[in-house]
Amino acid sequence: MAQVPAQTIPRDPQLFYWILFPITVVMVLTGILRHYATVLMASSPKKLDKKTTREQRSLAHGVSVRANHYVLSRSSFTARRDALMTAYESGAFLKDQDGRGQPPPNPMNDPAAMEGMMGMMKNQMAMIIPNTLIMGWINAFFSGYVIMKLPFPLTIKFKSMLQAGVATKDMDPRWMSSISWYFLCIFGLQPVFNFLLGSDNAANQMAAQMQMAPPAGQMFGPGVDPNKQFLAEAENLAVIEHHSVLDGVEQRLLEGIKA
Amino acid sequence: MAAERELQIAPLVQESLVHNTRTLNNLHSLTASLLGVAAGILGLESLAGFAFYISFSLLAAVLFYVLRVAPSSLPAGKSLGDTSRYFRRGGGFEFWTGGLMGGLAGFVLTWTLFYGLVRA
Repeated sequence: MAQVPAQTIPRDPQLFYWILFPITVVMVLTGILRHYATVLMASSPKKLDKKTTREQRSLAHGVSVRANHYVLSRSSFTARRDALMTAYESGAFLKDQDGRGQPPPNPMNDPAAMEGMMGMMKNQMAMIIPNTLIMGWINAFFSGYVIMKLPFPLTIKFKSMLQAGVATKDMDPRWMSSISWYFLCIFGLQPVFNFLLGSDNAANQMAAQMQMAPPAGQMFGPGVDPNKQFLAEAENLAVIEHHSVLDGVEQRLLEGIKA
Repeated sequence: MAAERELQIAPLVQESLVHNTRTLNNLHSLTASLLGVAAGILGLESLAGFAFYISFSLLAAVLFYVLRVAPSSLPAGKSLGDTSRYFRRGGGFEFWTGGLMGGLAGFVLTWTLFYGLVRA
């Protein structure tokens, strides 16, 4: 089988200084800017009034009693469980006592919920705006050049993605244009940001999108009926089978001494 | 149930686990980028480059084990190759191969860059 000679394309070495270098620098600087913009725009947690705080904390109290029941002795666990369950079931901790059993208010009308959504919107915007701007910038100034060759072969399907704006039919898909260098930068700059900004940075949109999934601790989202949460927590407390870490500690101590 | 009780008697500190994992991740991503630089300068292409990446990141994991993990985990009674003294998640598999996927993007980026600068 005849060996197909490798394609070589003479390119101006200045391409590196005027395309590759600016794109890389801009990508790194945008990441840093995004990190600091996120830090600055992070809204400080809103002050809650007394009733709301009590409602949230008392539910959290129930959860932590349930999670750490093993460090309590049986009698103190039972006392706590009984007190909490009575209060949950009678609705003593509720913010508005009269609102029990009524359907939760529409989250769109609740100003506190809107605040939270605005925060998420701001974060989304901090992702989308720079990306759109840079894509437009690269398309406007740098489209139509081939700047580099990938070190590994690709199938023909990648041609339209990698060589956007270069309509040459027989060119090897390994040659890539500036827009594909941009995509490589999006995916591959995370180590650089880790190095520059510390590892919990907000510079990379890929990492940020993975965190978009709501955190597990979101107990008081909009449209959740607190009364139902209290009842569910009371049920959770009721079914706990209590045991203590001090159960059989004498035996363990003796075994430890013997060995 | 027995394992759960054991964990409650001797609890793990979550912060330390997170710190260990983060240190390992930083090491992996930095190693991947530097391996990309090396592969690009050597002018490796296609499969040779990926084989280079896989073998040297595994080597980095082995070195990390030998230099950092083994000196204190072997005297603590762990068997050879057991990383559970410092890394609990994923049962060792993550320690040895976790960096491969995470660092791949960084590797490809620097590999392409230096291959382009040196060869193409």
